[in-house]
This record gives sequence, structure tokens and C-alpha cells, in this order.
Amino acid sequence: MSQTIRIQLERYRPEEDSEPWQQTVEVPYHRDTSVLDALNYIKDHVDPSLSYRWSCRMAICGSCGVMINDEPRLGCKTFLREYLDAGELRVRAMDNFPIERDLIADIGGLVGHIESVDPFLIVDAERPLSEGENLQTPLQLERYEAFSECINCGLCYAACPQFGRNPQFLGPAAITLAQRYNLDSRDDGTPRRLAYLNAEEGVWSCTFVGYCSEVCPKAVDPAAAINQGKVSSTLDFVQRRAVDPVSTEDG
Amino acid sequence: MRRSNEPIAWSLFGAGGMLLAFVGPGLIVVTGLLLGVLLADQPASVYESLLRWLSHPLGKLLMLSVVALSLYHTCHRLYHATHDLHLRAPNALMLVLFYGGATVLSGITAVVLWSIGA
Amino acid sequence: MAEPYVKRQPAGWWLKNPAYRRYMLREATALPLFAYTLLLITGVYRLSQGEEAFTQWLVMLRSPWCVTLHVVALAAALLHAWTWLQLVPKILVVHTNRLRVSGTLIKRVHQLGALLGSVGLVVLAWLFLAQGGS
Repeated sequence: MSQTIRIQLERYRPEEDSEPWQQTVEVPYHRDTSVLDALNYIKDHVDPSLSYRWSCRMAICGSCGVMINDEPRLGCKTFLREYLDAGELRVRAMDNFPIERDLIADIGGLVGHIESVDPFLIVDAERPLSEGENLQTPLQLERYEAFSECINCGLCYAACPQFGRNPQFLGPAAITLAQRYNLDSRDDGTPRRLAYLNAEEGVWSCTFVGYCSEVCPKAVDPAAAINQGKVSSTLDFVQRRAVDPVSTEDG
Repeated sequence: MRRSNEPIAWSLFGAGGMLLAFVGPGLIVVTGLLLGVLLADQPASVYESLLRWLSHPLGKLLMLSVVALSLYHTCHRLYHATHDLHLRAPNALMLVLFYGGATVLSGITAVVLWSIGA
Repeated sequence: MAEPYVKRQPAGWWLKNPAYRRYMLREATALPLFAYTLLLITGVYRLSQGEEAFTQWLVMLRSPWCVTLHVVALAAALLHAWTWLQLVPKILVVHTNRLRVSGTLIKRVHQLGALLGSVGLVVLAWLFLAQGGS
């Protein structure tokens, strides 16, 4: 552990700070030290007041998203060795979200958007158990499988300038999840979800920057989902299948 | 949530983008460089050929498609670029300026094409 | 009261990240392509005014301004074609009864089509115009 690398952290403590400030820390590294390991080192050995989110250490919980040298990355899936040439890492909370504290972004907006798109199977008629399993062919599964791999880490929102401009935009993960169910052969909820997707804040705020898909740690390709959603929404402009969920609940 | 009218703009943008991707480079080589530079010594025959071509209804239709779809494609991108660049202007004005502009220019082109060979 | 800190997106947001710069460059292809379309419209207009007017337009095409514009527009059209066709397989999903056609194949077919489209147009125009001259 003779070698070290310099990490610049953006700190924000809401009780004391009126705006974020930079703190520089030297951290020892091994070939296999992840940025999350480095943050844990800092918390244990340098400054216990540092706040950040993490849990699984293996890119499945989606908690440790941060900006690393201006790119949205998972701390656990990014290694210090990638930055030896740069000589320095700059770590801050994910862009486009309010900063709750230090490296913790307030992803309430993202969670709200995900909840708003009916992200579950909707069926017109309940199947009796006697009909057995609701079967799906491998091809039917393949149609939406990649879109179902999302771990809600929020990196795609940190990458999306349109969400950064307008937080009302449903954004990559929520629209991808809506598409994931719309493309599921067992689901009948497309007319309901189209009501959201057809809106300006639905698929039409997207300008296909495509950076969301570049930064996605699970290769979900949200840009593909959104732009396939534009095709669906364009068809619906003619077909008028969209049903406002509020009005159907009343009737 | 209110349905957006963007599908109309996006369809025209998409059609124009596909057209420009497939024949755009060739078109520019022909009308920009081939006509002006390589065939510079024979303006009369170039005129006769193009006149004959644009006198035919199919030629008119092709030319109008190219012009109109290119206009809608480029104006759509420029409209969204004003948003991306944070240019402050009333949205209604920008819609009229970009999509209205593309429509008016397409209309003018249609009228001009109509008059050729008539 | 502890409040989250909200950063506003700066107008120059696209300058600091290469992915955003590539995006803006892609969108910027519209500018020279728009200018080219205007020039094309003037060409059609001058043609409608008769041979003399059209010949003047042909002469104007040889001006350094016009040649530069066309070279820039050509570069923009090539960049547009390249970036546009990269994105086609993300939007266009094709199935047969048994399998999903690979995105790479869809992209390659489109690229081949674009190559044939542009080259074919130049060859056809050359035959058509040169024939008129002979």
C-alpha cells in the first residue's frame, strides 16, 4: 500500500454549508480498490463525517451512484486503477438531482416517476388458476428482457440533460420500465401507460442524446426503450388507444 | 397528462432524417459540386436536362419531397437546439418560426415547381 | 432548516462532457444542411425563371462561398448519415416467427442502402446530365 491517489470530494452539509465545497484526500490503492472501497477507507480512516450511500458492493443494489470525473458511475463498479493516468479523481453527488448531503443525491423525483407509470402487470380479465401458468415464449421474453434489468440506480438521470433541465420529464428509467410492461405479452396495460408516455413530459422530452445508455451499468439501453416508445406514441396519435387511468377508475 | 403534438413534428423529422441519411451526401455532391464545378462548361445542356426533369410531375414530386423533408428535419433539430442552448424565447414564437418557416418555404417551393414547364 | 442543495443546469452544460459535445455536433449538422436546402430552393427558383437566370445561379455555385458551404454540408451530411444509422437498430426492432433480427444486421443493411443510395444518385445524375450534353 505504498502508492496513493488523490481524491477530490464535493462536500455539502446542509446544517453548516450554504453551498458545496471541495475536500482533497490521499487514498492508498491496490489494483482492485474500487471507488466505493476508497470512500469506505476515507470514512474509516480520514473523515468519519463523510456521507454516501452504498449497500451490496456488486452492482446490483444501485445505491452507490456518484459522479466520477464528471461521469455518472457506480462507485462499486469503478476502480481507482482506471484513473492512474488522470492522477486524480473528482467525486460528487449525481448531477441533476438535489444534493441531500455530501455524495448523497435526493432521488425522490426518480422514485416518484417510477411509481407513476404503473410498473406492474395489468390484465383485463383475471385468469383462473385452473388455466395454469401464463406461458411466454423465449422470443416474447427477449422483447422486453433487457429493459427489465434496471436497478434504479439513477445514473441515467444524472446523464440526461433533458431531465436536468426539466425534472418533470419522466426520464430514462421510468419510461424504460413502462416500455418493459408495454412489451410484455402478458400485459394489457398499454392504453393506461400511453396516457403518460404521450405527454410532453413523457417520451417527447427526449432528444436522443443517448448518454443514458452509455452510462447504464446493466446495459439496459434506456435510449432504445424511450425511442421505441416514441414510435408507439406516434402510432397512438392516430389510433387513440390511450386511456386516462383517472377517468377509468371513476367509471 | 396532455397528449403532445410532437408525433407530427417527429414523423416529419424522422422521414427527413432517413432521406438525408440515404441520399443526402449524394444529393449535395450532385447539386452543389457536380452542377457548379464539373459541368461548368455546359450550362445550356444542364439547364435543358433539369428543365425536362422538373417538368415531369414525378420529378416535381421528388424535388418537393427532398426540399420539404429536409426543411422539417433541420428545423426540428434547430428548434430543439434553441432549447438545449437555453435561448430564452417564447415557445409559441419558436414553434411558429421553425415549423412555420419550414412549411412556408415548402409551400413556396411547391408553387415554384408547379410553374416549371407549365 | 436543512435543505437539499439544488444546482441549476448551466447554459454551457454540453461543453464539459465529450458525450454531450458529440450530441451537439450531431444536432449541429442541421445548420449547414438547412443552408444547403435554402440554396437548393434558390436553384429551383432560378431554373423556373429561365436559362439566363439559371446560368447565373450555376456561376454563383463556383464562388468560394458556395463551394465552402457545399463542402461543409457534405461533411455534415456524412456525419448525419453515420450517426443516424447508428441509432436505427435501437428504434427498429424486427422479428421473424422464430428470432429477433440482430441490431448489427439491421444497421449494416441500412448502411449499405445509404451507400448505394448516395453513390447511385451521383452515378445516375452524371449519366443523365452528361447525356444531355452529348
